[in-house]
Amino acid sequence: MDSFLLLLCFLPVSYLLFKLFIVIDQKRHQCCYILDYHCYKPGDDRKISTEFSGEIIRRNKNLGLNEYKFLLKAIVSSGIGEQTYAPEMIFHGRETCPTFEDGITEMDEFLNDSIEKVLDRSGVSPSEIDVLVVNVSMITSLPSLAARVINRYKMREDIKVYNLTGMGCSASLIAVNIVQNIFKCCKNAYALVVTSESLSPNWYTGNHRSMILANCLFRTGGCAVLMTNKVTLKNRAMFKLKCLVRTHHGAKDDSFSCCIQREDEQGRVGFHLDKTLPKSATRAFVDNLKVMSPKILPLTELLRFSIVSFSRKMSQSIDGSRPVINFKTGVNHFCLHTGGKAVIDGIGQSLNLSEYDLEPARMTLHRFGNTSASSLWYVLGYMEAKKRLKKGDKLFMISFGAGFKCNSCLWEVLRDLGDRNVWDDCIDNYPPENLANPFMEKYGWINDEDPSTFKVPE
Amino acid sequence: MPPPMPEFSNSVKLKYVKLGYQYLVNHFLTLALVPVIITLLIQVIRLGPDEILTLWHSLRFDLLQILGSSFFVILLVTMFFITRPRPVFLVDYACYKPPASFRVPFSTFMEHSRIILSHEPKSVDFQMRILERSGLGEETCLPPAIHYIPPTPTMESSRGEAEMVIFSAIELLVNQTGIKPKDIDILIVNCSLFSPTPSLSAMVINKYKMRSNIRSFNLSGMGCSAGVIAIDLARDLLQVHPNSNALVVSTEIITPNNYQGKERSMLLPNCLFRMGGAAILLSNRRSDRCRAKYRLLHVVRTHRGADDKAYRCVYEEEDPEGKVGISLSKDLMAIAGEALKSNITTIGPLVLPASEQILFLLSLIGRKIFNPKWKPYIPDFKQAFDHFCIHAGGRAVIDELQKSLLLSPEHVEASRMTLHRFGNTSSSSLWYEMSYIEAKGRMRKGDKVWQIAFGSGFKCNSAVWLCNRSVHTPTNGPWVDCIDRYPMHVPEVVKI
Repeated sequence: MDSFLLLLCFLPVSYLLFKLFIVIDQKRHQCCYILDYHCYKPGDDRKISTEFSGEIIRRNKNLGLNEYKFLLKAIVSSGIGEQTYAPEMIFHGRETCPTFEDGITEMDEFLNDSIEKVLDRSGVSPSEIDVLVVNVSMITSLPSLAARVINRYKMREDIKVYNLTGMGCSASLIAVNIVQNIFKCCKNAYALVVTSESLSPNWYTGNHRSMILANCLFRTGGCAVLMTNKVTLKNRAMFKLKCLVRTHHGAKDDSFSCCIQREDEQGRVGFHLDKTLPKSATRAFVDNLKVMSPKILPLTELLRFSIVSFSRKMSQSIDGSRPVINFKTGVNHFCLHTGGKAVIDGIGQSLNLSEYDLEPARMTLHRFGNTSASSLWYVLGYMEAKKRLKKGDKLFMISFGAGFKCNSCLWEVLRDLGDRNVWDDCIDNYPPENLANPFMEKYGWINDEDPSTFKVPE
Repeated sequence: MPPPMPEFSNSVKLKYVKLGYQYLVNHFLTLALVPVIITLLIQVIRLGPDEILTLWHSLRFDLLQILGSSFFVILLVTMFFITRPRPVFLVDYACYKPPASFRVPFSTFMEHSRIILSHEPKSVDFQMRILERSGLGEETCLPPAIHYIPPTPTMESSRGEAEMVIFSAIELLVNQTGIKPKDIDILIVNCSLFSPTPSLSAMVINKYKMRSNIRSFNLSGMGCSAGVIAIDLARDLLQVHPNSNALVVSTEIITPNNYQGKERSMLLPNCLFRMGGAAILLSNRRSDRCRAKYRLLHVVRTHRGADDKAYRCVYEEEDPEGKVGISLSKDLMAIAGEALKSNITTIGPLVLPASEQILFLLSLIGRKIFNPKWKPYIPDFKQAFDHFCIHAGGRAVIDELQKSLLLSPEHVEASRMTLHRFGNTSSSSLWYEMSYIEAKGRMRKGDKVWQIAFGSGFKCNSAVWLCNRSVHTPTNGPWVDCIDRYPMHVPEVVKI
């Protein structure tokens, strides 16, 4: 009888242990690692200077002197430098009449370059990729850009592919979110996230104030990121995803319409940027931080902040300064979306960040401009090139996008980083002594001129 | 393709042999266990009640043992349930029905075509011939902007069409299911060729004031099979997030994609694509288990983009005059057939009963080892599925699939009638077809449905659903006012 009982117990016990093993194994394979990433850098012939920008504005027949003044002022004070890149059609003078082919060629240049480089460097062949997520907001093509990538690199038939569009400058983290979720279901997978922005077909040819700004601020750029959840590649990985939080304020009408693509009175399509944009951005940012802070800050900081706010409220003192939560207790590096000088300044102020913290974002804005969704990866590249990233450091990425969305995530650095990347040729020149636009003097007069006697100087 | 059996397979006796064989193999496990259970029962009865009692008393139980063993049993049961993948249910879905004022009968279409392409009589003739053979009916609809001569596709009218289609479908779904928009956790919108910024998903969130921590995704460019891709993404997300629901909106916005040139290969989509959209509510909550209509069993995706010919067969490009349109290559059917074969090879083992799988395996071995000239055995998918929803891409697609899968006219009826009544509504056509089967009262609990969709790239995606409860004939839905006229015979060529 005893041996019979023993046998009876043995089967369920072994089954139990087997199930436990499966659960633990699943949990191990659910981490999201970045193996490598590569940012796109076009050739030097695509560099666009402030002077050339001025010429482009002047050759647009629809823009009058007031618009010329407004735009130059915007460019000069934008924080964008002289070495950013523009799409090719601008250099051929065709920005007012781009063709469908222009948009596709612009994307092809990037897709043929970055993906090959990231796969070569990490030694992964295209047929090993299990998940592909491509996000380019402002172009749709049939077949999708994702299908273009699959065709060019001959990827497998059973690949899980998603093509996201229309999700704005924060789409990078949405793509990472998809990969993070798929990694929890599939073991031992490679994922490729490709992010960029299409500028050629979206040039605004009208003269509506709120819409012409978009023409001047966006620049060419893109990034291909190789991610995996293979536990065996943990030593080679660069970053590990700790948490990701998405906040969507589309329910509020003013947030939804502050950054919207529409037609002006003459029927020309452009990107309208409303004056309420900073307010919507701040609101979304605060909501996002409310969810994110408990996940990334240490308990001591959270306790301190709650005690200070509570005592402030109780004592009802009106000494003006509200308690500020100190993010540096849980985060070592800040990777901010380079939406513009105002955005970087705004975030710096809200989080009480020093110039050292804001330097990567400022320098990226200066060197590469606002490359939309891929800007976060250029900022990351700067930090890596400056050898700031050490093992165990925590990196906080924040991005904003149309809708209005604020997405943020926390990465842990897995090893000391300092490989060659897109900043190679110029990292030693950064940070420069003076970030001011060299044409400030030439165009500085635009700040003082009386509009009624304004004449364009030679 | 005839199966590799001799001519006298038509005789009745062999038919019964085949049926018997299928029954034997499919119910093998039951048939093997029954004699074992009977023997055990006989043994127990032979022992007699007294002996059983003594056996019972000899097992000494004390409190510790009882607690320990019950704890083990509970732990086992919990582990079993935790490690199972979460089932994904389709609570309900709703299809958009355009108003009658948007209808485009053949006469209207040809009249517009003659005026707009007045300098190109050959292109007009081509369009007429396509329409005659298309399998479309007189009640398909186009959005208001396309009714103008010439069409006025502005961004505002595109947004207008999107709002009309998507919001109507979601309203219907909200009424049917009683769900509050604030309770939706995941939102996926797929629309191939219209992608404004902010995205259509942001537009839905704005209209219905959804929560700020909603996980939204906007897929585009993925063609007519994007509906199944969105379901796949929703399934993966629902595996990770417990107790959640997902709203999937599949549509295609026609307004910005009307081809305004004269190239023939690009005029074809103008003739076939029509307005339509569907909203689907998926859930993994236990409380929805009873009221859900379907359960998702499998999703299989096949992407043939690596092959250049497959990649180029549905391609958006500029014509020599610079007008943008979608060109369809002549090899479309052949490529679709290849993609389908690939998809079947993966889905076959998941759904086919054991009898069919064995036959297929034997035929494969035979072809490889004995004689490569043997005709490949085409598994009988009618054994695995009760209903087929084939994307209503066009008459040729449905004909091709009916031939390859050896389906009867009843199986493809839903697809043909959807093509007739609504035209090719791209990714939402699968849902109109499901709705047809329900409206005809053919959907019963336990039925399996196979949805197959093709898309640019070239993709072939399939989804398999199991009917979870008896589905009553819907009192609202796109077929309510016309189901009695169907099925109707659609002639090969309709003379205009």
